[in-house]
Amino acid sequence: MGETTPEADPKKLAEEARDRVRFEEEALELADQVYRVARRLVSTREEAEDLMQETYSRAFRAWRSFQPGTNLRAWLLRILTNLNIDRGRKQQRSPDLQPLEEGDYYLYNRLEEAGREPNVEQERVDERLSQDDVVAALSAVPHDFRDVVVLVDIGDFSYADAAQILEIPIGTVMSRLHRGRRILKRELADETVGSV
Amino acid sequence: MGFGAQVDPCEKCEELLQPYLDRELSDAERAEAELHLDGCSYCRKRYRFEEELRRYVRQAAVEEMTPDLKQKLSELRTSLF
Repeated sequence: MGETTPEADPKKLAEEARDRVRFEEEALELADQVYRVARRLVSTREEAEDLMQETYSRAFRAWRSFQPGTNLRAWLLRILTNLNIDRGRKQQRSPDLQPLEEGDYYLYNRLEEAGREPNVEQERVDERLSQDDVVAALSAVPHDFRDVVVLVDIGDFSYADAAQILEIPIGTVMSRLHRGRRILKRELADETVGSV
Repeated sequence: MGFGAQVDPCEKCEELLQPYLDRELSDAERAEAELHLDGCSYCRKRYRFEEELRRYVRQAAVEEMTPDLKQKLSELRTSLF
């Protein structure tokens, strides 16, 4: 009695199989949300689809390393962002260190100057900016900043989750987010009003 | 009062816009920003625009995955084998 190894213990094997099925189901349920972030981290749909398949393939193989009760969506995105960097995305030597003169009111001010003052009373930003403007402006934001903006503003991750996913300090998340949003607004202004 | 005498209050308010919307300000900073916003339509309009812009960016950037990809991901499950 009691001689069976854990690997051969039928009860343990059944439990493990159940855990694995549950893990895979939960991961697949999150795929839509993971894809929305993935799609904006890369330039094309094909890249996003490849990245998703690679991520899920790796996640399913490494499922035991996921700690139940922690954030599975963040865990999946950590795999995905690492793969994205490993795949040799174009790295900036150092991310856009030129001074950025534009403040947070920049886009509004530019729209106003161009006589396209947003009607905030009716909250109709979409009358001034098209979906294509937003997509183009996002893809023009340098990767290091875009990663953070996409995770926080599109993926709805907290600063702490974004820090963990990207393996950078929380202070760096905050400064990149701040700057990334300003760059995004500058790009949106250039897209819609023209560059100065 | 608010924001101190040396600083352009609208400039200071612009600096607080992102942490304000991210709910990262201390209670005192938040109260200070709100005091200024109550009396300044220039900043108020820009804050509302930023709030709406964030919502719009989130919505505009969404692209759903195809059923084909969903199927492919599902086929990657190891528990099927």
